[in-house]
Formats: sequence, structure tokens, C-alpha cells
Amino acid sequence: MRSNYRRHFLYAGILVVVFTLVIQWILDLSLPLPDIQGSAQSAAIDNLIGQHVWLIAGAGALVLVIMGYSIVAFRARPGEEDEEGDYFHGHSGLEIAWTVIPLIVVTIYGVIGVQVLAQVTAPQDNEMTVEVEGLQWSWRFAYPEHGEFQTVEMVVPVNQPLLLSMSAVDVLHSFWVVEWRVKQDLVPGITTELRVTPTEEGEFQLRCAELCGLRHAYMLADVRVVSEDEFDAWIEEQLE
Amino acid sequence: MLMQLGLTRGLIYQAAGTVLGMVVTMVWRLLAGMDLWDQEVVFVVGGLVGGFAFMWGVGAIDDWLEWCRGKATPLVHGPPRDKPAWTRYFSTDYNHKVIGIQYSVTSLLMLMIGGSFALIFRAELAQADLQFLGMGMYNKLIGLHGWAVIAAILLGVGGMANYLVPLMIGAEDMAFPRLNAFAFWINIPGGLLLLASAFLGGFDAGWTAYPPLSTQGAVGYQFLFLAIYFVGLSSILGSLNLLVTILTMRPKGMDLFRIPIFCWAVLATSLIQLTATQAIGTAFLMGLSERALGMGFFDPEGGGNPILFQHIFWFYSHPAVYVFVLPGLGIISELLPVFSRKPLFGYRWIALSSLAIALVGFLVWGHHMFTSGYSPYLRVPFMVATLLVAVPTGVKFFSWVATMWGGRLRFPTPMLFTLGAISVFLLGGLTGPILATVASDLYLHDTYFVVGHFHATLFGGFVFPFCAAIYFWFPKITGRMYNEALGKLHFYIMTPAFWLMSIGQMTVGTMGMRRRIVDYDPTLGGGLVEARHLETTIAAFLIGLSILIMIYNLVTSAEIGVRAPANPWRSRSPEWQIPSPVPEHSYAAPLQVVGEPYDYGLEEEYVVMDESQAGHAQAH
Repeated sequence: MRSNYRRHFLYAGILVVVFTLVIQWILDLSLPLPDIQGSAQSAAIDNLIGQHVWLIAGAGALVLVIMGYSIVAFRARPGEEDEEGDYFHGHSGLEIAWTVIPLIVVTIYGVIGVQVLAQVTAPQDNEMTVEVEGLQWSWRFAYPEHGEFQTVEMVVPVNQPLLLSMSAVDVLHSFWVVEWRVKQDLVPGITTELRVTPTEEGEFQLRCAELCGLRHAYMLADVRVVSEDEFDAWIEEQLE
Repeated sequence: MLMQLGLTRGLIYQAAGTVLGMVVTMVWRLLAGMDLWDQEVVFVVGGLVGGFAFMWGVGAIDDWLEWCRGKATPLVHGPPRDKPAWTRYFSTDYNHKVIGIQYSVTSLLMLMIGGSFALIFRAELAQADLQFLGMGMYNKLIGLHGWAVIAAILLGVGGMANYLVPLMIGAEDMAFPRLNAFAFWINIPGGLLLLASAFLGGFDAGWTAYPPLSTQGAVGYQFLFLAIYFVGLSSILGSLNLLVTILTMRPKGMDLFRIPIFCWAVLATSLIQLTATQAIGTAFLMGLSERALGMGFFDPEGGGNPILFQHIFWFYSHPAVYVFVLPGLGIISELLPVFSRKPLFGYRWIALSSLAIALVGFLVWGHHMFTSGYSPYLRVPFMVATLLVAVPTGVKFFSWVATMWGGRLRFPTPMLFTLGAISVFLLGGLTGPILATVASDLYLHDTYFVVGHFHATLFGGFVFPFCAAIYFWFPKITGRMYNEALGKLHFYIMTPAFWLMSIGQMTVGTMGMRRRIVDYDPTLGGGLVEARHLETTIAAFLIGLSILIMIYNLVTSAEIGVRAPANPWRSRSPEWQIPSPVPEHSYAAPLQVVGEPYDYGLEEEYVVMDESQAGHAQAH
């Protein structure tokens, strides 16, 4: 048996490559992200998720294939019921390899993660502040740079970097527009911040993502991303 | 007959103690010139007194009370003399094997209760819109499901550890048998308080009970806090007992790198339980006193900070995940060599990887809080620490498949569940880094993807290995074989159903569905979200069905199963070298270690009994 290990490793190695591709394909189908990438942050986050899917596929294939291969190739065949397996109980080189290589891989993914985090949270020069207030079970918005008024829908100009300055009145809430990807909790007694730059015009929904009591599932608000002209007109309307 | 059971007495005492505690509180309030009725204080004192009254009624503190009065009490081992043998399972008993079974059966019961809660809201989620479940009821059921199942997992972990550890190291019993019984029984009033909270308005903030929602909700929260206090006490005392047992009661020649690998998993688990459980006790005690006494810990209205709770809560609740899964991973490492007929690959690496996971596990709690609003500079260290967990976990996976490589694999039910556990835990493990990475978590946090991730982790790390362990040691426990065909049926229903459920949860999560919502937008995922939910619901019910098949199998096989030989699996582990079922005093003579635990393929034994000292155990 031992002499055949080279052949087994070859077959298993080929299968690992094949199954990495197969699993990646299955995961791509199973983990569909929303079609609309509505913010400057969306693409970076989607790419990051895509890179992690490759990690899942590769590492998953490695373990599953070797396990599946063993189940088929090393099963006790009829007549082998009393046979024992090949006797070996460890290999320091292998153990060190599968400690060090994953360490390198997670370090790489960690570095990528830090870069993407810096990218999606980076302050911009011309940010517009929107004050977001969450309360059981509705949202309020204010535009301190455009006058003193409050709205129940959020209207923002496209391609305008936003600084959301958020507070909660009663309990925890969380600001999440699926198409924008990023989310941030609202905490009573504290002001939290979220930076996002909407890049797609359209009507979206803001949903509360932190369990906040009875009507949590329905704590929604309309979000409209409009052109700069439309936004200016809307502001005029609000000020009247 | 019923009154002869400790359990019955305990329940009566608990009911009486609860009422007594409430009445005394009210009288005291009256005398102090306060309003008679303050439900927060009255129920807390009632619940607390009731819990300890149960322990008195069940007899778990009888010996200690005698000691307080200066009397010595012998450690009585064996079935009761004047009552049927089965009654010992419903009364205080000091034999670790009885306590292990008490833990395990209670665990299965709690698992079915907690699972049933899930099936109720799973049925509701099969379609968008509201069907039969109100919004308030939904919010209460999710929290109840969470804690009932967590309690079940802790009980299951206790069951496996209590039954197996002394047997595996050849000890006659645990280091502190009375403490062992106490640590089991304290779970019963805890579990009852948890379920009773539903009748006091329940708790509607999920199992995490984040304030300020939890400081404003119904009085049911107080019973939750008390319940977890009791269950946590069990964890602390039980882990202390296990640590002392493993570290001091091993036989001659069994150095730490020669104990069965499951004991290493229990060692790592116990270290976490002994040191982290206090944190959730603290978090919940603060929540309890904020509500009952108006102390402003978390609610900003009283000068508190809601994020403080999250830190303390997760300081336990993340390491707790490793409490849930490490023993299960130990079961995988224990069973693979037996059914691969090959030594465990890299014993020391697997043993130390458990410790590494336990230690790194203390430094990662902040990954639950990336969106919480804590200082942004904390995000990166928590991300890096969390990614590091992948390294020792990877060592386990690679060592497992290397154990199978070149073996002569056979596939009775316990092996099938072991392989199922590896595949499911792999799914849970590999979906971890994407959540540990801050930027992707900003999208995935609080979505159903997280739900899929941790269900895969806990099924792969606990449910599948627990089933494997039950089938594997069933012959040793009962002296009879389980029904192999039904065991396989259980496996072949549960495994595909679980994969369907878990992937379905992840799918709706990436589509953009939040967790903990009773109703969802049916247009998500291009309108496919409802179909995925329907599949997930069907899969969940199939899992429930498969568990019922297991229960049927266990109950009937214990009665009419084929008589089991001493060692049906040809295992090298000590407990298989003695008759099935295990005699009252386990080993007739002290063990002597003469070989390695997993040297399948070699002739030398792992342990032999030192016959020259036979009778030692009974004389004790």
C-alpha cells in the first residue's frame, strides 16, 4: 500500500484542483450578492467577499477531497474486516507546514482586509453631514448644512460622500441599506458615524439591522438617491 | 413512589421556596414602608430562593449540611437498597456514570425543547408576510430557542465529560463526587427558570439580551438572568472538578501526552469554563440589578453605557463557543483512529491545538462588535486575533484527514456521524474568516449568513459529534447494541437536511436578509428568497424527524437490543477493556499504562489492569 501513496497523492491533488473550481462555482450560485452596487464602498466589499469565497473553496476542497478520497480508496473492502491500517502516527514536517502555510494565508487575508477597511472608511474632502436618528420603530433625518428641518425619508445626491452622524433615542438600532453594503449601529447616549458615498440613483430601503423590539422587522425608511439638481430642488421644498 | 424521587421533592421545594421568597420579600417591603408589590424584586428573590430550595429538596447538599453539623458521611456508591434501581437516575447520586447519563438525557430533552421552539418560527418563516405567529411571540421564541439550546449543549458537554473522563483515565470517580452531583442538579432549577420566563412576558431581545432593550422589557428577563446564573454556576463547578480529576487522578504511566485525546479537549474546555463563565454572570447580574435596584450600568438614562454590556457579554460568549465545540472535536479525534484502524495523526499537535484555540479564544470577543460603535481602532486587532484561530483549527482538520489517509476505514453509525461532523464543522469554520474580516462583516453582520455560520459551527462541533458519541458508547452504557439500520437512517436524513438548511440560511443572508425578523421582503435575491426559506423550513423539520428516529432507536434498543460484547469496536481505550455495561466501580484493579492510546496496528496494549491489586476499588 505504502508504495502507492505517490499515485494516491497525485490523484487527490488533481481532484483538489478540480473541486476548488467546482465548489467556487457552487458558492457563487449559493451566495448571491445584491445586483446593485449602490455605493463607492460596495464594489470593494463585494470583491473582498469574492476573495474569501476562493479561500473557502480552496481550503474546503483540500479537506473534503482528502476525506472523500480516503473514504473511497482506503475503505475496508470485503475480506479486510480484520485488517489494520498502515502504521504511522505523525510527521513533524507536515504539521509544521500546515501550521505555517495557513498562518501565511490568514496574514495575507488580514492585510487585504485592513486595506479594504481603510478604503471603505476613509474620510473624504467634501463630505455632507446627514443626521440620522433611530427610534422605535422609525427613522428621522436632518441636514444641518442645509437648514433646520427633519424628514422621514432620506434623500441624498448621487456621488456625494456622506458622513452619517447617528444617534438612537431609546434602544439600539442599526443603519443598513443593502445596496450600500455597510452598516453601523445606533447607540443611545453615543453618536456613531458611518461614511458612505451613494453612486447609483434610485429608490432603496433603509432597514434596521439590530433587534429593537416589537416592530423591528418593519423599522424601514425610504432612501432616494437623486441627481444634484433634484436634491437642491428637494432642499428648497423642505425649507418652504 | 413518586415522593421517593429526589427530583419530585426538589420540584416541590422549588415551588414552595419561590412562593416563600416572594412572600418574605413582600412582607419585608411592607414593614419597610414600601409598596407591597414590585415585581422585579419580588420575582428575583422568589426565583433565587426557589432555586436553592430545589437543591435542598433534591438532596444535593445533604452531606454538606451534615458536615456543617460536624458529622462525617460515607460516600455511598451503588443503587439504592430499598428502592428500584432506576430511581437513582431521578435522585442525587454520586456515581459519575449516573451523573453523566443524567446530564446527557437532560441535554437531549432540552435540545428537543429548544429545537421545537425553532420549528415554530421556522414554519412562520416558510413564507414572507405574517402567518400565524405574532411579532412579539416571534421575538420571544428566538431568544428562548437560543438559550434552551445553549443550555442543552452545556449539559451535553457535561454529560460526555462526566461519563467519559474518569473511565478514560481509569479513575474510580470524579475528584469531588458531591460537587459533581450539585453541579448537575443546579441545572434543573436553572432550566425551569429559563422556561418559566416565557410565562412572565419572556425576553424579547434575543439570546444576547442587549440593553437598553433588555432593561426595559418584561420581568421574564429576571428569570433569564437567574437561570443563566444557575447554569453558569454548574459550568464553573463542573469544570473545576474535571480539571482536578484529569490533572491529579491519572494512573501510573499516564503522562499528559498519553491520555485519551478527548481528555485534552475537556481540559481546554474546562480552562475556559472556569475562567470565562464569570463574565456572563457579571453581565447578567449587572442587568439584573439595573432592573431590580435601578443601578445605572448600561442604560444611558441612568448614566450607563450599552456597549459595556456587549464587551462583558462577549468576553464569555465567544470563548463559550469553544466550550460548545472543543469536546465535540475531541470526540472526532477519539473516534477517527478507531474506525480508520490507524494511529491518531499528530497527537501532540491536536492536543495543543485545543489549548491554542482556548487561549486565542479569549482575545477575539470584539469581532461580534465591529458595527457596535466602539473605538474604530479596536477593529483591526480583533480581526487579526480572530483570523489566527484558523491556524490551530486547520491543524485539527489536516490531522484528521491524515489519520484517515492509509487506514482501513469502516462506517458504522458513529463513524458516519464523525465524518458528518467534520464536513459540517468545515462549513462553519470556513465561513468564519469572512465574518472576522471587518469590511465584509460590515455587510454580513446581523444577516442570516451569520445564522448559517454558527448553526454549522455548533452542529458540526456539537450535535453531530454528540450523536456519534451516543451511538459509540451506547453499548458500553446499556450493554446492548443500538439498531444499525435506524442509526444510518438518522444519519442519512440529518446530514443532507442540515447542509440544505445551513446553506439556505447563508444564501438568504447574502441576499440581504437581516436576522431576527419575523417577516422579510420577498423581492430580495430577485424574488428567490421565499423559495430558499421554504427549503430551509422543510430541512429543519427533517432534522427534527431524524432526532425522533434516534430517540426511538435509543429507547427501544436499550430494552430489546442485541447484547453488546465488551469491545464491539475493537477500541484500545481503557473503558472498552471492561464489561458492558460498566460495573458500578468501573475497574476491578488499578490501571497501568504500557503503551500509546492510538497505536492501532501494533500488538502492545495501551493499558493493562494491575491484577495484583485487584479488589482495591471495592475496598476503597
